[in-house]
Parts: sequence; structure tokens; C-alpha cells
Amino acid sequence: MSEIMPDDMIVCRCEEITVGEIKQSIREGAKDITGVKRRVRAGMGLCQGRTCEKLVQQILCSELNICPEQTGRSTARPPVRPVTFGELAEGGVV
Amino acid sequence: MKAYDVVVIGAGAIGTSVAYHLCEKGYEVALIDHGDIANGSSSHCDAVALICDKQPGLDTQMGAASIALYKELAAKFSYDFEFDQKGCLYVCETESEYEAASAYANRQAQDGYDMSMVDAKTLAEMEPYLAKDLIGGIWTPGDAAMSPYKVCFAFTEEAKKLGLKVYTYCSIQKILLGEKNQVEGIETDQGTIYTKKIINCAGVWAPDVGKMAGIEIPIQPRKGMNLISEKTKRIVWHKILEFGYMMSKFDDINFKRNVSPLVEEYNVAFNIEYTNDSNILLGGYRGFRGFDARSEIEAMKAIAERGMRFFPCLKDINCIRSYAGVRPFVVDHLPIVSDVEAVPGFYIAAGHEGDGICLSPITGKIMAQVVAGEKTEFDISKLKFSRFEKNVL
Repeated sequence: MSEIMPDDMIVCRCEEITVGEIKQSIREGAKDITGVKRRVRAGMGLCQGRTCEKLVQQILCSELNICPEQTGRSTARPPVRPVTFGELAEGGVV
Repeated sequence: MKAYDVVVIGAGAIGTSVAYHLCEKGYEVALIDHGDIANGSSSHCDAVALICDKQPGLDTQMGAASIALYKELAAKFSYDFEFDQKGCLYVCETESEYEAASAYANRQAQDGYDMSMVDAKTLAEMEPYLAKDLIGGIWTPGDAAMSPYKVCFAFTEEAKKLGLKVYTYCSIQKILLGEKNQVEGIETDQGTIYTKKIINCAGVWAPDVGKMAGIEIPIQPRKGMNLISEKTKRIVWHKILEFGYMMSKFDDINFKRNVSPLVEEYNVAFNIEYTNDSNILLGGYRGFRGFDARSEIEAMKAIAERGMRFFPCLKDINCIRSYAGVRPFVVDHLPIVSDVEAVPGFYIAAGHEGDGICLSPITGKIMAQVVAGEKTEFDISKLKFSRFEKNVL
């Protein structure tokens, strides 16, 4: 799959991170989803990796020749969707 | 597997700095971590190096020296760790806080540090979105921000140029000791590494490494938690903390804040910063929960509530994530940067609690001096492991 993704294709839309940048982070030592995230910010934006995590996983699998179970996942943290600090303080939806 | 002059255990802010400074002295060094670079506390913290949250004396002296080193390294390294000497404001809600803050700032200024009081008017000019009813605060222009995990990557990448060998995702199984209890090597799941010197920089996990060498290191995990906003326009220009943060940090400041039961219960102290990537980091909470680093909903509410007291405009800004990590807490609030008499060749640089990022450069520099048998930059007798001598198993 990732063989057909061009290097300039944007994978993480929120942070505008490309296939090429993700491959570079893997060459620099990233071995899992969190390692990629920490090096190039893929998954750190508004959607928190909902869109790009599976794509990042595919790139990791093909670059490192590993299976999806070995890439880990990013740590699940509240809030489950963006919520204003105002709503949060009032005990709104978290 | 190979032999090295020194093996550093732990690739966080302390371990990577120690490894870099040892490489700079010409040692052959290996850096081992059971996970990735910056996998633990150094990627679950805030992003500053301050002197205005330090106790007068050695604590402040080390902080100031470390910030000066950061500045040098930022100019020297090709890896950008986003160093920004933006300054810090410590804001006061009441006259009694302002008095206590003035006494603290005067004491620090007498010791030669650039710290002064600003009034409400100046505060409003410096930070137009800050609540208007604040009395004033302490201004420390030299305090700085940086990306904590990029600090770890920067030290690692720069040290690699000097020959550092990195073993990530490598678990230590046993520390090999000789007849006189001296360090001889480490057995790992990637093979045996021979060395005469080990530096334990494993932070909150340093006690586990210590046990393998037969010593008990009194470091406990203390949880810290922050919130992150969506990318937003700039509403804050400096690092800002509330004076009550001191209370949260040291538990021994003798005053009560006028806060809600929730904020009180979670010991939440407001602090805020605007990152290089246009997010706001809002803190914070500290508590003892063992190694449980899950986000706590009630603490999130309390952080949001306290944040809006100081920055009312946060009300309409989205929070996209919370994060929490464990900090290496030592009961006297001083790190351990020391040799260990009972185990020749075994050293510890750990226990910095929330100051690991701040004290990373100076700790690395001092530890390298200790290993080389040189005179250290400061008198670090207060940081010796022997203050817990009875802990030899």
C-alpha cells in the first residue's frame, strides 16, 4: 500500500505531515506510532490521529517489514472530541 | 557485543545529556533505554527551564547555569530544540501573595539574579488577555522554553556525531558486579555489554536499576498532568504561573488560596505557555498515584477552571487532549547526582522531579565531571547519594 503513496502526499491533515516526512522519521529511529508522532507530529492535531493513524501504521509496516500489531497505538486520552475549556470546567462532555 | 568506557541507562532529558557530555570528553559511550528516546517523563511534561520556581541557593544556581548552557547549545547544535528565552511571569492574586513574592524576588536579586516585581499596569501591558484583577507579579526575563522531547533527540543526534552508540528498545536483565562489588557489565536482551562505569539516569525507574546493583534509591513517582488546546491565535507571550504554584511544588508554603473545593482537592496550580506549534499548554496538577499515568477527568475540570480564572478567553478555545506522566520525586526536592560508594563504577543522575528538563544540561555537564574525576562546577555535596546511606541493601 505505502509503495504507491507518493512522498509528497499529506498523511496527517491536521499537522500537514507528508509520507516523505514519516519515512524520514522512521529512518531516524521511530519504530512505532508514538515514535513517528513524537518526531514529526503526525497525530498531534485536532483529530488526534483518527484519520492518519492507520496510514502511519501502514507506512511503518512496509518500511520496517513488521505486522500491524507491532506498531503499537497512540495513547488514548480524554477528551474524546474537542471541547472548549468552558464546557470542560462546567463538567460538560468529556 | 562490544565494550564501552561508560554505559548510560535511560534516554530521557538527563540520560541523553549525560551521554552527550561524556562523548564530548572523549569517552566511548553507549546509551540504553527499554523504549524509544524520550519515551518516559521527558515527553509527558511541560516545556520550560525556569529559575523563578527554584529555592534560593544551589537549586537556583543550577537552574541559571543550565539555562545559560541551553543557550550555548541552541547556538551550537544543528538539531533545533526550539529554545526560546521568552521570560516568565509569576502572578499574584492577593496582597499577601505579592508580599511573599516580593520577599522571594528580593532575596534572588540579592544573589545576583535578574528578577523584579511588576505592578498590575505593567502586567496588563505585557499580557493583555490576563485577568485584570491581578495585583502584579515577579518578572524573570532570562527564563526559557524549549521542546522537552526535542532536547532529548538533539542531545542524542549531536552525541552520535561524537561516536555515541544507541540501544533503544533494549531491556536490562542483570548488572554484572565483580569481587569487590565493582561494575563489570550489563546483560541485556540484545546481548552482554562490558563496561566499568554505569550511569543510572532512569528517572522514576532508577530504583529498578538500582536494585540490580544492590542499592535502594529513594525515588517515587509523582504524577503531573496538563491540557493542550487546538492551534489558536496567540493569547499569551511569556511563561506564566500563579504564585500558588510554589505551594503545589513544595507543599510547604504557608498560605491558603481562595479556590473551589475541586481545585483545592487536586492541588491544581495554574501555569500556561504558548508553543512553537501554536498550541496552548495549560497546567497543572501534581499528585501521588503510583505509576498510574492515566488522565483524570476531575483534575482536567479543575485545570480548566483554574485556567479560566487567569485567562477568561480560554472559555471558548477548544481543548484537544490531556496528558499525564510521572516525575521522579525525591523527598528533599534535590536530585541525586553522585557516585555510589558501595558499588564502585556505579553512578546516579536522577530524581529531578519537575526540573529534569530545566536541569538537563547542567546535570550532564556535572556528571561528566564526576566520572572524569574533575572538580565539579559547583559544590554538589548536597546531591550525594550518601545522604540516603542507610539505603544500601
